[in-house]
This record gives sequence, C-alpha cells and structure tokens, in this order.
Amino acid sequence: MKIKIAHLYYDLLNLYGEQGNILALKNAFENQNVKVEINLLSAGDNINFNKYDIFYMGSGTNQNLLIVLNDLKKHKKQLLNAIKKNKYFISTGNSHEIFGKFIEMDNAKYEGLKIFDYYAKQNPKRIVGESFMEFENLTPIIGFQNRCSVMQCDDNHLFGVINGYADNYKSSFEGYRENNFFGTYLIGPLLIRNPHFTDYIVKDILEKKNIPYTEITNTIEYKAYNEYLKNFYDL
Amino acid sequence: MTNILIIFNKLITLVCKIFRKNGSVFPASIILKIKPDILGKIKYPKYVIGITGSSGKGSTTSLVAHILETNGYKVVWNKSGSNVLNGTATLILNHCNFITRKLKADVLLLEMDESYIKETFKKSTLTHLLVTNITRDQPARNGNPEVILNKIINSIDEKTHLILNADDSLVNKLTLKHQGRITTYGINKTAYSITKPYSQNLDGAYCPVCYKKLKYRYYHYGHLGDYKCSCGYKRNLDYVGKQVNLNKQTMIIENKKIHLNNNVFFAAYYTLAAYTLCKEINLNEEQLLNALNVNIIPSKRLKTIMFDNREVVMIESKNENNLSYLQSLKYINQYPKNKTIILGFENVSRRYKYNDVSWLYDVDFNILDTKNVDRIFCIGRFRFDVAARLINSGIDPDELILVDDINRITTLLKENSSGKIFTMVCFDMTEILKNIFLNAEEGDHNEN
Repeated sequence: MKIKIAHLYYDLLNLYGEQGNILALKNAFENQNVKVEINLLSAGDNINFNKYDIFYMGSGTNQNLLIVLNDLKKHKKQLLNAIKKNKYFISTGNSHEIFGKFIEMDNAKYEGLKIFDYYAKQNPKRIVGESFMEFENLTPIIGFQNRCSVMQCDDNHLFGVINGYADNYKSSFEGYRENNFFGTYLIGPLLIRNPHFTDYIVKDILEKKNIPYTEITNTIEYKAYNEYLKNFYDL
Repeated sequence: MTNILIIFNKLITLVCKIFRKNGSVFPASIILKIKPDILGKIKYPKYVIGITGSSGKGSTTSLVAHILETNGYKVVWNKSGSNVLNGTATLILNHCNFITRKLKADVLLLEMDESYIKETFKKSTLTHLLVTNITRDQPARNGNPEVILNKIINSIDEKTHLILNADDSLVNKLTLKHQGRITTYGINKTAYSITKPYSQNLDGAYCPVCYKKLKYRYYHYGHLGDYKCSCGYKRNLDYVGKQVNLNKQTMIIENKKIHLNNNVFFAAYYTLAAYTLCKEINLNEEQLLNALNVNIIPSKRLKTIMFDNREVVMIESKNENNLSYLQSLKYINQYPKNKTIILGFENVSRRYKYNDVSWLYDVDFNILDTKNVDRIFCIGRFRFDVAARLINSGIDPDELILVDDINRITTLLKENSSGKIFTMVCFDMTEILKNIFLNAEEGDHNEN
C-alpha cells in the first residue's frame, strides 16, 4: 500500500516554502508506516488524476498563476471528476483562486476554471498578517497571509476566522471546502505548522483505506505548534 | 524655504550626534513633512547612481565608493546603510550647500531599497541604476519577486543608464523595453557552477516573454546562471566574469586578474558589478586595477571572540532572504574542520512585527548534513520551528540541541559540543550571545 501525492506546478507555485507541505504529508504517513510516492508535475505534463490520493498546489506570482490556469483548463474534466470522487485537493496561498469563476488582476479579467462559484479581485493594498483559524473541533489553525486579492465566497467556508484576515473585509470566514477540496489563502508550510490538521487528513485517508491510524503527537512539529500558541495565541 | 530646511537638517543631525542618537534617518523625517518635494530642489552632480536589488546592494555600493574615492572622486554615499527615503534625504541635505543648494560631490551614490526608488526623487534624477538581483526577500514587506520587479520597472526613466546583472532572468527582463542605455554583466561557468538547482523553488524559472520554462546550462546559485528560452530570450553579456577562484580570491574580468575581497561567490558578483559601473562612467583600467588589486578594500570583518579556548565566529544572518541565508550557510560549510553551529531568532524581522516562518522552507539546510558538523544548537522563540526545518532537511535529530534557557548555552556548549563555533543568528540574538560568551570568559578568568 502506497499513498500517492501529486505536487502540482511545483516549479510555478512555490513562493513561500510550500514544499514543506509535501514534507509534512510524507512524514505523517511514514510515521504510520505507510509508504509515500511523490510526483512533481508541472505545465505541459500529462496528469493522471486517477492515480493520486492527494493533490497539492502552493502560491504563485500573477504571471505564474495564469500559466497554471491555462494549463489546468486542459485538465478540467478530470480535475472535476477527482474532486467529485473525494480525492484530497489542498490548495494554499492564492492558487485556489483559479478554481473560481474569474480573477480580476492587473487591470484584466481572467475566466477561471468555473469549478466553484467564488471569484477573486485584486485589492489596492496587500493583505499581510498572522492568522488563527477555526476548523471543526480542532485547536486553532495557525498561519500567515500575504496576498493582493480579496475573494467573494458565499458558502462552503473552510475556516472561521478567530483572528486575522477573512476572504474579504466583510466576511468572517476564510477559504473554501467542497468534498475534500481545501482552498485557503494561508501561505507557506501550513501542514508543517499545523500537525494536528495534517493528521486530520492522514487519519481520514487511512481510515477510508482500512489502514490503522495511531495518534503520534510527540513530534518536533507538535512542539513548534504548541510553542507558537503559547507565545502568540492570546484571547 | 529650501535653504533654511537644509540648515535645519544639518542642525538636527548635529543635535542627534551630541545626544549620541542615530541621526542618519530622523532629521529628514521632519524636513520631508514640512517640504515633501525638497529633494527636487537640489542641484545634483553629473553622476547620480542608484544601486538596488534584493541582496548585494550594500557590498556593491561600498566597493563602488572605494573605487571612486581611491581615484580622487568626491563621493557622497549612504555608508550607514540607511537606504529608505528618510535616510537618503538626510544624507543628501547634509551634503548640500545651503546657499547654492548644490550637492558637494562629484558623485551621489545611493544604495536604494527597491521599494523606495520612485519615492526618493524624480525618476530622471538617476543617471545610472544598477540592479544586482531580484529574489524572494522579506515577503511581508516586499511581496513577491514579480511585485519587486514591477516596482523597479515603474521607477526607471528612459534616460537612465541601466547596469544589469543579466545572469538573473528576472533582472534581464528590464532589457526588453528600456529605451535608454543598458550595460549588462554576468559570470561564465565556474568550478562552482551546478547543472541542477538545489531545490525547485526558483524565482524566474519561466520565460517572461513566452512563459515557457527556461533551460539552464548552469546555475551559480538560486536562479542566477546561464539560461535561454526557445523564443530567443537569453542573457547577452557586455562584461563577463571568468575563472572565479574562491581559494585564491581571484576572477578574470576583461583579461585582467581581479582580487576578490571575500572568499564567497557573491563577492564575484559585487566585484564585477562595481567594475562594470565604474568602467561605464569612464574610469580606465589602470584606475580600476589600482583600486581593486592594490588599495584593497577589506571585507566586512566578522565578529570573532574566544570562549572555552574555542573560536566563536559571529555571523549576522538575514532572515527571509533564502539566497542570502544560504550564502551564509555555505560560508560556514567552507570551514573544513569540526564545528558547532548556533541558529535561531527571537523575532523574524527587525522592520515589522510579523513572524512568518515560511522562508525557512526555501532554505536548503540539507547542505549542513555533513560529518564536519558536530552539533547544531537551536535558540530563540522559534527554536522548535528551526529544529523542525532541520530535521525535515535530513539532519539527524540527535545532532540538535534545543536551548530553552539561553543563559545555559555556555554550559550546554561545553558539555555537548566540540569544534569551532559559528553563530548564525538574527540581529536580535547576536548581541545577547556575545555578552553571554564574554561574561562566561570573564567568570572563568576570575575563578582562575
């Protein structure tokens, strides 16, 4: 048994140390004695969406986001099918914008993949700051945002905002979730910084494959998470 | 009004000096509130040179100043490294004649923060602009490299002579539309070149013209190297650095052997950049060789102290710039014998309150996975994050020592480590560590 992870557009969407998320998934599965295969895929590659259990995409510059959008349009049908089949799709930073209706940036409007109903518009000011998010019954999700757009998203919210920025200035939610598609503006090694969130995903995947899951919380990532909460989570 | 404000600026600077306060930024912060366009009223010299980029601008500026001053030019430059608007304005006003408003120099040479070029003065004021590189750097403040590049593009006047590091595929984009003069520099393949990058998180990996992936013949570091695209986008070099030899600290430029004042690769870049710029403002070969090979500028000396009969080399690393950070790690790695390394930070930045640790995963820490590294001590509030990154880079967890109480570090070092000590910590920890080491040494002497 092997878990297969596709790191999509690894060389285009990687602005903020996002390779850390792949490392986090790899470690979490290996700690459960489950083997992991990681494939780096990018523009122009044949992507077999049936092959993988998890797809991951990180943050990109506007130019790179458009390269990815154009390439993903070729895979839209298979992509949609993979999301419907409950495959895990983790999209951090701004990459979830391309799954929506449209993106307005640099004085132009680009048609998105139209898989989901939300849309993104460039904001005059960059949105930068620490975030604490609420997700189901987990302890807070910690993260950082650094983006230049706001999103209009009316339903299927991923996170409730405890502290930090929401999708837009009027919302109190951040991100999008449909089936196992997780899209969030949180950047960087989110799954390293939130080992409990990573374990939530790992546990779900293993249980569905009838592989036993053992709780392991004595890792350095858990220590870093707890230390961060101790130093910065003040409510 | 301008004349009075020039005097006022000088007076505030004097008061700061008397009270031993840093007066390199504060004076103009007041003056610019009174007269925001004051820098537009100054009479500038023939050469007004800006040096910008994500890293290396300070070293390049120092070397250009050295070359010019060695050859008799009067240069006004921001020695203090204050490279944002208030610092630059304070410097300019302090060197102006308050009657004629004329800057008293042959050359105004400015290390410039890439975000503040346009805000400093009218675009046309710069006669030359040198761009060292564009990489991910302090993203919370600068955004991403594309944002930085666009800021630079929007700051350039058509009349400005651009001096560009064309090894950088992003910087090279400036050659596409600029109507004014352009001079490029770059380095040929060296013994240190690599054909595969350390990691896949390169800036500017794709062609800015046709958006295909660039093909590299070799990389020097990061995305700097020799690249080309099938659409024809590539580097065209006017000044070429060859045969970089870090052991001998030499390189060849225009068939002349040039001394490098430091044994790290980026010294080749700042030396070539300074050579190119100075040649383009008409210094001759003899003048250049005299300043670079005879009257050598000493490199910035690293702080070195002794502790427990071991040398402690103190490097101040720059967080949030993965390539600068990697260069410092490579410097430590060059030491061929047994060593102990201290890493960590209490805060990510000195400029803002954000503590984003994402950049740690853009640094290739796996280069520390060598037998010469005895122990790595992780210190500061983010020691667990640093340790997590190191373990995720393949470093043996048993090699790591997490220091919960910084005051115990000397005991822990004595009991658990060997070899020369390298501290590579952020600005906020260097001073603390230095004092701890010095106090420990003093205590030992007193006991003896």
